[in-house]
Amino acid sequence: MSQLFEEFDEISTLAEGLDDAEAGGRIMAVIELANSADPEAIPHLAKAIIDPDEGVRKQAALALTAFDGSATAAALVVALGDESQAVREAAALSLTELKDPEAGDALLPVLTDSNEFTLLACLAGITELRRPEAMAPAIAALAHTSPMVRCQAVSVIGWLQDSTAIPALRSAATDEHPTVRRTALAALGFNKSDHSEKILISGLDDKDWQVREAAAETLTKSGSHTCIADLINALNDEYWQVRLKAVRTLGRLGASESALHIGPLMSIDVPNLRKECAAALGELCVPASREFLELFKDDGDPDVRKNVRWALGKIDSL
Amino acid sequence: MPLAHAASTVPVVVNDDLCIADKGCTVCVEVCPLDVLRITDLLDGRKTAHMKYDECWYCMPCEADCPTGAVTVNIPYLLK
Repeated sequence: MSQLFEEFDEISTLAEGLDDAEAGGRIMAVIELANSADPEAIPHLAKAIIDPDEGVRKQAALALTAFDGSATAAALVVALGDESQAVREAAALSLTELKDPEAGDALLPVLTDSNEFTLLACLAGITELRRPEAMAPAIAALAHTSPMVRCQAVSVIGWLQDSTAIPALRSAATDEHPTVRRTALAALGFNKSDHSEKILISGLDDKDWQVREAAAETLTKSGSHTCIADLINALNDEYWQVRLKAVRTLGRLGASESALHIGPLMSIDVPNLRKECAAALGELCVPASREFLELFKDDGDPDVRKNVRWALGKIDSL
Repeated sequence: MPLAHAASTVPVVVNDDLCIADKGCTVCVEVCPLDVLRITDLLDGRKTAHMKYDECWYCMPCEADCPTGAVTVNIPYLLK
Protein backbone atom coordinates (compact mmCIF):
# COMPACT_ATOMS: atom_id res chain seq x y z
CA MET A 1 0.00 0.00 0.00
CA SER A 2 2.82 2.38 0.82
CA GLN A 3 4.07 2.01 -2.75
CA LEU A 4 0.66 3.06 -4.06
CA PHE A 5 0.71 6.21 -1.97
CA GLU A 6 4.21 7.02 -3.21
CA GLU A 7 3.08 6.72 -6.81
CA PHE A 8 0.09 8.96 -6.10
CA ASP A 9 2.35 11.57 -4.57
CA GLU A 10 4.63 11.41 -7.57
CA ILE A 11 1.78 12.08 -10.04
CA SER A 12 0.46 14.98 -8.01
CA THR A 13 3.97 16.41 -7.84
CA LEU A 14 4.38 16.10 -11.61
CA ALA A 15 0.95 17.67 -12.10
CA GLU A 16 2.06 20.77 -10.20
CA GLY A 17 4.14 21.56 -13.28
CA LEU A 18 0.88 22.17 -15.18
CA ASP A 19 0.51 25.38 -13.15
CA ASP A 20 3.90 26.69 -14.33
CA ALA A 21 3.68 30.26 -15.56
CA GLU A 22 5.68 29.40 -18.69
CA ALA A 23 4.30 27.18 -21.44
CA GLY A 24 7.62 25.31 -21.67
CA GLY A 25 7.30 24.23 -18.05
CA ARG A 26 3.75 23.01 -18.62
CA ILE A 27 4.86 21.08 -21.72
CA MET A 28 7.53 19.35 -19.65
CA ALA A 29 4.93 18.47 -17.02
CA VAL A 30 2.77 16.92 -19.74
CA ILE A 31 5.71 14.88 -21.06
CA GLU A 32 6.59 13.66 -17.56
CA LEU A 33 2.98 12.75 -16.81
CA ALA A 34 2.86 10.71 -20.02
CA ASN A 35 6.17 9.03 -19.19
CA SER A 36 4.78 7.97 -15.81
CA ALA A 37 2.31 5.68 -17.66
CA ASP A 38 0.17 5.95 -14.52
CA PRO A 39 -3.58 6.21 -15.31
CA GLU A 40 -3.79 8.71 -12.43
CA ALA A 41 -2.21 11.15 -14.88
CA ILE A 42 -5.20 11.08 -17.24
CA PRO A 43 -7.32 13.73 -15.41
CA HIS A 44 -4.30 16.03 -15.30
CA LEU A 45 -3.69 15.58 -19.02
CA ALA A 46 -7.39 16.20 -19.63
CA LYS A 47 -6.88 19.51 -17.85
CA ALA A 48 -3.84 20.28 -20.00
CA ILE A 49 -5.86 19.69 -23.14
CA ILE A 50 -7.73 22.94 -22.48
CA ASP A 51 -4.55 24.89 -21.62
CA PRO A 52 -4.36 28.43 -23.06
CA ASP A 53 -1.16 27.56 -24.95
CA GLU A 54 -1.48 25.66 -28.25
CA GLY A 55 1.83 23.81 -27.74
CA VAL A 56 0.71 22.46 -24.36
CA ARG A 57 -2.64 21.35 -25.77
CA LYS A 58 -0.94 19.59 -28.70
CA GLN A 59 1.53 17.86 -26.39
CA ALA A 60 -1.32 16.76 -24.11
CA ALA A 61 -3.20 15.31 -27.09
CA LEU A 62 -0.09 13.40 -28.16
CA ALA A 63 0.70 12.35 -24.58
CA LEU A 64 -2.69 10.67 -24.22
CA THR A 65 -1.51 7.94 -26.65
CA ALA A 66 0.23 6.50 -23.57
CA PHE A 67 -3.17 5.77 -22.03
CA ASP A 68 -6.43 4.09 -22.93
CA GLY A 69 -10.01 3.90 -21.74
CA SER A 70 -13.03 6.12 -21.80
CA ALA A 71 -11.51 9.05 -19.83
CA THR A 72 -8.69 9.26 -22.36
CA ALA A 73 -11.10 9.11 -25.26
CA ALA A 74 -13.32 11.80 -23.69
CA ALA A 75 -10.33 14.15 -23.34
CA LEU A 76 -9.34 13.54 -26.96
CA VAL A 77 -12.89 14.20 -28.16
CA VAL A 78 -12.68 17.61 -26.45
CA ALA A 79 -9.43 18.28 -28.34
CA LEU A 80 -11.13 17.44 -31.65
CA GLY A 81 -13.01 20.71 -31.29
CA ASP A 82 -9.85 22.74 -30.65
CA GLU A 83 -9.34 25.95 -32.59
CA SER A 84 -5.84 24.83 -33.61
CA GLN A 85 -5.53 22.38 -36.50
CA ALA A 86 -2.29 20.96 -35.02
CA VAL A 87 -4.12 20.07 -31.80
CA ARG A 88 -7.08 18.58 -33.65
CA GLU A 89 -4.77 16.44 -35.80
CA ALA A 90 -2.78 15.29 -32.76
CA ALA A 91 -6.03 14.27 -31.05
CA ALA A 92 -7.25 12.44 -34.16
CA LEU A 93 -3.94 10.56 -34.33
CA SER A 94 -4.12 9.60 -30.67
CA LEU A 95 -7.69 8.34 -31.07
CA THR A 96 -6.47 5.71 -33.54
CA GLU A 97 -4.18 4.30 -30.84
CA LEU A 98 -7.05 3.38 -28.52
CA LYS A 99 -7.44 -0.36 -28.00
CA ASP A 100 -9.71 -0.67 -24.94
CA PRO A 101 -13.34 -1.22 -26.09
CA GLU A 102 -14.49 0.90 -23.11
CA ALA A 103 -12.96 3.91 -24.85
CA GLY A 104 -15.85 3.61 -27.28
CA ASP A 105 -18.21 4.96 -24.60
CA ALA A 106 -16.88 8.45 -25.25
CA LEU A 107 -16.81 8.05 -29.02
CA LEU A 108 -20.26 6.56 -29.67
CA PRO A 109 -22.23 9.78 -28.93
CA VAL A 110 -20.00 11.70 -31.37
CA LEU A 111 -20.54 9.31 -34.29
CA THR A 112 -23.42 11.46 -35.47
CA ASP A 113 -21.46 14.72 -35.27
CA SER A 114 -22.09 17.11 -38.12
CA ASN A 115 -18.43 18.18 -38.25
CA GLU A 116 -16.66 16.11 -40.90
CA PHE A 117 -13.28 16.11 -39.16
CA THR A 118 -14.75 15.06 -35.81
CA LEU A 119 -16.87 12.35 -37.41
CA LEU A 120 -13.92 11.00 -39.39
CA ALA A 121 -11.63 10.97 -36.34
CA CYS A 122 -14.21 9.23 -34.16
CA LEU A 123 -14.98 6.62 -36.81
CA ALA A 124 -11.25 5.97 -37.14
CA GLY A 125 -10.93 5.77 -33.37
CA ILE A 126 -13.75 3.30 -32.87
CA THR A 127 -12.83 1.04 -35.81
CA GLU A 128 -10.50 -1.32 -33.95
CA LEU A 129 -12.56 -1.15 -30.75
CA ARG A 130 -15.21 -3.30 -32.46
CA ARG A 131 -18.19 -1.82 -30.65
CA PRO A 132 -21.41 -3.30 -32.10
CA GLU A 133 -23.23 -0.04 -31.26
CA ALA A 134 -21.10 1.67 -33.91
CA MET A 135 -22.78 -0.31 -36.68
CA ALA A 136 -25.87 1.90 -37.08
CA PRO A 137 -24.00 5.23 -37.17
CA ALA A 138 -21.40 3.72 -39.51
CA ILE A 139 -24.11 2.56 -41.92
CA ALA A 140 -25.65 6.04 -41.73
CA ALA A 141 -22.22 7.54 -42.48
CA LEU A 142 -22.10 5.59 -45.75
CA ALA A 143 -24.42 8.28 -47.12
CA HIS A 144 -22.01 11.09 -46.15
CA THR A 145 -20.84 13.38 -48.91
CA SER A 146 -17.17 12.95 -47.97
CA PRO A 147 -15.54 9.85 -49.47
CA MET A 148 -13.08 9.79 -46.56
CA VAL A 149 -15.95 9.48 -44.09
CA ARG A 150 -17.62 6.80 -46.23
CA CYS A 151 -14.34 4.91 -46.44
CA GLN A 152 -13.83 5.01 -42.69
CA ALA A 153 -17.44 3.94 -42.13
CA VAL A 154 -16.79 0.92 -44.33
CA SER A 155 -13.74 0.11 -42.20
CA VAL A 156 -15.84 0.24 -39.02
CA ILE A 157 -18.39 -2.14 -40.57
CA GLY A 158 -15.65 -4.40 -41.92
CA TRP A 159 -13.97 -4.75 -38.53
CA LEU A 160 -17.26 -5.70 -36.91
CA GLN A 161 -17.62 -8.66 -39.32
CA ASP A 162 -21.37 -8.79 -38.72
CA SER A 163 -23.37 -10.55 -41.41
CA THR A 164 -26.25 -8.07 -40.98
CA ALA A 165 -24.00 -5.43 -42.53
CA ILE A 166 -23.34 -7.39 -45.73
CA PRO A 167 -25.99 -5.51 -47.78
CA ALA A 168 -24.38 -2.20 -46.74
CA LEU A 169 -20.92 -3.46 -47.74
CA ARG A 170 -22.20 -4.75 -51.08
CA SER A 171 -23.72 -1.36 -51.72
CA ALA A 172 -20.45 0.37 -50.77
CA ALA A 173 -18.64 -1.89 -53.24
CA THR A 174 -20.34 0.12 -56.00
CA ASP A 175 -19.58 3.54 -54.48
CA GLU A 176 -18.50 6.24 -56.90
CA HIS A 177 -15.16 6.69 -55.10
CA PRO A 178 -12.49 4.02 -55.75
CA THR A 179 -11.10 4.09 -52.19
CA VAL A 180 -14.54 3.32 -50.78
CA ARG A 181 -15.03 0.49 -53.30
CA ARG A 182 -11.59 -0.90 -52.49
CA THR A 183 -12.19 -0.85 -48.74
CA ALA A 184 -15.64 -2.40 -49.16
CA LEU A 185 -14.25 -5.26 -51.26
CA ALA A 186 -11.56 -5.94 -48.65
CA ALA A 187 -14.22 -5.87 -45.92
CA LEU A 188 -16.37 -8.40 -47.81
CA GLY A 189 -13.59 -10.98 -47.44
CA PHE A 190 -15.04 -12.50 -44.27
CA ASN A 191 -18.35 -13.29 -45.98
CA LYS A 192 -18.12 -16.49 -48.00
CA SER A 193 -21.49 -16.29 -49.78
CA ASP A 194 -21.80 -16.68 -53.54
CA HIS A 195 -23.23 -13.19 -53.84
CA SER A 196 -20.22 -11.61 -52.13
CA GLU A 197 -17.87 -13.67 -54.26
CA LYS A 198 -19.64 -12.44 -57.41
CA ILE A 199 -19.11 -8.86 -56.25
CA LEU A 200 -15.42 -9.59 -55.65
CA ILE A 201 -15.11 -11.17 -59.09
CA SER A 202 -16.77 -8.16 -60.70
CA GLY A 203 -14.21 -6.03 -58.83
CA LEU A 204 -11.51 -7.63 -61.01
CA ASP A 205 -12.94 -5.61 -63.90
CA ASP A 206 -13.12 -2.30 -62.02
CA LYS A 207 -11.76 0.73 -63.89
CA ASP A 208 -9.46 1.54 -60.92
CA TRP A 209 -6.40 -0.71 -60.62
CA GLN A 210 -6.30 -0.51 -56.83
CA VAL A 211 -9.86 -1.82 -56.65
CA ARG A 212 -8.86 -4.68 -58.97
CA GLU A 213 -5.85 -5.33 -56.74
CA ALA A 214 -8.06 -5.45 -53.61
CA ALA A 215 -10.49 -7.80 -55.36
CA ALA A 216 -7.70 -10.16 -56.43
CA GLU A 217 -6.24 -10.16 -52.92
CA THR A 218 -9.55 -10.64 -51.08
CA LEU A 219 -10.59 -13.57 -53.24
CA THR A 220 -7.93 -15.57 -51.35
CA LYS A 221 -10.33 -15.63 -48.41
CA SER A 222 -13.22 -17.03 -50.45
CA GLY A 223 -11.61 -20.46 -50.67
CA SER A 224 -13.85 -21.07 -53.68
CA HIS A 225 -12.64 -22.18 -57.10
CA THR A 226 -15.38 -20.45 -59.09
CA CYS A 227 -13.16 -17.37 -59.44
CA ILE A 228 -10.15 -19.22 -60.94
CA ALA A 229 -10.91 -18.35 -64.57
CA ASP A 230 -11.34 -14.67 -63.69
CA LEU A 231 -8.10 -14.65 -61.71
CA ILE A 232 -6.24 -16.28 -64.61
CA ASN A 233 -7.66 -13.53 -66.77
CA ALA A 234 -6.36 -10.96 -64.23
CA LEU A 235 -2.83 -12.27 -64.87
CA ASN A 236 -2.98 -10.12 -68.03
CA ASP A 237 -3.89 -6.94 -66.16
CA GLU A 238 -1.97 -3.88 -67.29
CA TYR A 239 -0.82 -3.28 -63.66
CA TRP A 240 1.76 -5.71 -62.27
CA GLN A 241 0.40 -5.05 -58.78
CA VAL A 242 -2.92 -6.64 -59.81
CA ARG A 243 -1.11 -9.53 -61.50
CA LEU A 244 0.95 -10.08 -58.32
CA LYS A 245 -2.16 -10.40 -56.13
CA ALA A 246 -3.84 -12.67 -58.66
CA VAL A 247 -0.73 -14.91 -58.68
CA ARG A 248 -0.70 -15.03 -54.88
CA THR A 249 -4.41 -15.89 -54.70
CA LEU A 250 -4.14 -18.58 -57.36
CA GLY A 251 -1.22 -20.12 -55.46
CA ARG A 252 -3.04 -20.10 -52.15
CA LEU A 253 -6.22 -21.49 -53.66
CA GLY A 254 -4.15 -24.35 -55.10
CA ALA A 255 -5.39 -23.67 -58.63
CA SER A 256 -3.00 -26.05 -60.39
CA GLU A 257 -4.56 -25.28 -63.78
CA SER A 258 -3.11 -21.76 -63.47
CA ALA A 259 0.53 -22.90 -63.21
CA LEU A 260 1.19 -22.72 -66.93
CA HIS A 261 -0.30 -19.20 -67.00
CA ILE A 262 1.83 -18.06 -64.06
CA GLY A 263 5.10 -19.49 -65.45
CA PRO A 264 5.47 -16.99 -68.32
CA LEU A 265 5.06 -14.08 -65.86
CA MET A 266 8.47 -15.05 -64.41
CA SER A 267 10.12 -13.31 -67.36
CA ILE A 268 8.64 -9.89 -66.43
CA ASP A 269 11.21 -7.43 -65.14
CA VAL A 270 9.55 -6.88 -61.76
CA PRO A 271 11.39 -8.76 -58.96
CA ASN A 272 8.39 -8.70 -56.60
CA LEU A 273 6.21 -10.32 -59.26
CA ARG A 274 8.87 -12.97 -60.06
CA LYS A 275 9.22 -13.72 -56.35
CA GLU A 276 5.45 -14.20 -56.01
CA CYS A 277 5.29 -16.33 -59.15
CA ALA A 278 8.01 -18.64 -57.82
CA ALA A 279 6.20 -18.95 -54.48
CA ALA A 280 2.89 -19.71 -56.21
CA LEU A 281 4.49 -22.30 -58.48
CA GLY A 282 5.97 -23.93 -55.39
CA GLU A 283 2.56 -24.03 -53.74
CA LEU A 284 0.93 -25.43 -56.88
CA CYS A 285 3.66 -28.06 -57.31
CA VAL A 286 2.99 -28.72 -60.99
CA PRO A 287 5.97 -30.56 -62.55
CA ALA A 288 5.46 -28.79 -65.89
CA SER A 289 6.33 -25.45 -64.24
CA ARG A 290 9.87 -26.70 -63.56
CA GLU A 291 11.06 -25.36 -66.93
CA PHE A 292 10.06 -21.80 -65.94
CA LEU A 293 11.67 -22.06 -62.52
CA GLU A 294 14.95 -23.49 -63.85
CA LEU A 295 15.44 -20.33 -65.93
CA PHE A 296 15.52 -18.17 -62.79
CA LYS A 297 17.72 -20.23 -60.48
CA ASP A 298 20.38 -17.52 -60.81
CA ASP A 299 18.02 -14.52 -60.76
CA GLY A 300 19.63 -11.22 -59.77
CA ASP A 301 17.21 -10.84 -56.87
CA PRO A 302 18.06 -12.97 -53.80
CA ASP A 303 14.40 -13.32 -52.76
CA VAL A 304 13.50 -14.66 -56.20
CA ARG A 305 16.41 -17.15 -56.05
CA LYS A 306 15.28 -18.36 -52.61
CA ASN A 307 11.68 -18.87 -53.72
CA VAL A 308 12.80 -20.61 -56.92
CA ARG A 309 14.99 -23.01 -54.89
CA TRP A 310 12.11 -23.66 -52.50
CA ALA A 311 9.64 -24.25 -55.35
CA LEU A 312 12.01 -26.63 -57.17
CA GLY A 313 12.55 -28.50 -53.90
CA LYS A 314 8.78 -28.89 -53.49
CA ILE A 315 8.39 -30.21 -57.02
CA ASP A 316 11.36 -32.59 -56.57
CA SER A 317 9.82 -33.98 -53.43
CA LEU A 318 6.68 -35.10 -55.23
CA MET B 1 32.60 10.54 -34.85
CA PRO B 2 33.68 14.02 -36.02
CA LEU B 3 32.90 16.77 -33.52
CA ALA B 4 30.68 19.58 -34.71
CA HIS B 5 32.68 22.80 -34.50
CA ALA B 6 29.99 25.37 -35.26
CA ALA B 7 26.25 25.15 -34.68
CA SER B 8 25.56 26.94 -37.94
CA THR B 9 27.24 24.33 -40.15
CA VAL B 10 25.55 21.20 -38.85
CA PRO B 11 22.33 19.65 -40.18
CA VAL B 12 20.42 19.83 -36.89
CA VAL B 13 19.79 23.43 -35.91
CA VAL B 14 18.07 24.35 -32.65
CA ASN B 15 16.24 27.62 -32.10
CA ASP B 16 17.48 28.60 -28.64
CA ASP B 17 14.48 30.86 -28.05
CA LEU B 18 12.04 28.00 -28.55
CA CYS B 19 14.08 25.22 -26.90
CA ILE B 20 12.82 24.29 -23.44
CA ALA B 21 15.88 22.30 -22.34
CA ASP B 22 15.98 24.81 -19.51
CA LYS B 23 12.77 23.23 -18.23
CA GLY B 24 14.33 19.77 -18.28
CA CYS B 25 13.29 18.70 -21.78
CA THR B 26 15.64 16.17 -23.39
CA VAL B 27 13.29 14.72 -26.00
CA CYS B 28 15.60 15.33 -28.99
CA VAL B 29 18.61 13.88 -27.17
CA GLU B 30 16.65 10.77 -26.26
CA VAL B 31 15.15 10.09 -29.67
CA CYS B 32 18.36 10.54 -31.68
CA PRO B 33 19.46 7.03 -32.78
CA LEU B 34 23.05 8.20 -33.29
CA ASP B 35 23.17 9.98 -29.93
CA VAL B 36 24.73 13.09 -31.46
CA LEU B 37 22.68 15.70 -29.60
CA ARG B 38 23.48 17.14 -26.20
CA ILE B 39 22.15 19.78 -23.82
CA THR B 40 24.50 22.69 -23.30
CA ASP B 41 24.56 25.92 -21.29
CA LEU B 42 24.17 29.21 -23.11
CA LEU B 43 26.18 32.29 -22.13
CA ASP B 44 23.12 33.79 -20.42
CA GLY B 45 22.76 30.72 -18.20
CA ARG B 46 19.86 29.13 -20.09
CA LYS B 47 20.14 25.62 -21.51
CA THR B 48 19.60 24.51 -25.08
CA ALA B 49 20.04 21.43 -27.23
CA HIS B 50 22.81 21.35 -29.80
CA MET B 51 24.45 18.94 -32.20
CA LYS B 52 27.68 17.77 -30.62
CA TYR B 53 28.78 15.25 -33.24
CA ASP B 54 28.52 16.02 -36.91
CA GLU B 55 26.82 12.79 -37.91
CA CYS B 56 23.20 12.66 -39.00
CA TRP B 57 21.00 10.06 -40.68
CA TYR B 58 18.32 12.68 -41.40
CA CYS B 59 15.82 10.32 -39.77
CA MET B 60 13.92 13.33 -38.40
CA PRO B 61 12.44 12.28 -35.03
CA CYS B 62 14.33 15.09 -33.27
CA GLU B 63 12.44 17.58 -35.43
CA ALA B 64 9.14 15.71 -35.37
CA ASP B 65 9.10 15.02 -31.62
CA CYS B 66 10.34 18.41 -30.38
CA PRO B 67 7.39 19.71 -28.33
CA THR B 68 8.01 23.34 -29.26
CA GLY B 69 9.17 22.98 -32.87
CA ALA B 70 12.63 24.28 -31.94
CA VAL B 71 14.57 21.69 -33.94
CA THR B 72 15.10 21.96 -37.68
CA VAL B 73 16.93 19.33 -39.70
CA ASN B 74 18.42 20.77 -42.87
CA ILE B 75 18.39 17.94 -45.36
CA PRO B 76 21.06 18.20 -48.09
CA TYR B 77 19.64 18.96 -51.51
CA LEU B 78 20.75 15.63 -52.96
CA LEU B 79 18.86 13.69 -50.29
CA LYS B 80 15.56 15.51 -50.85
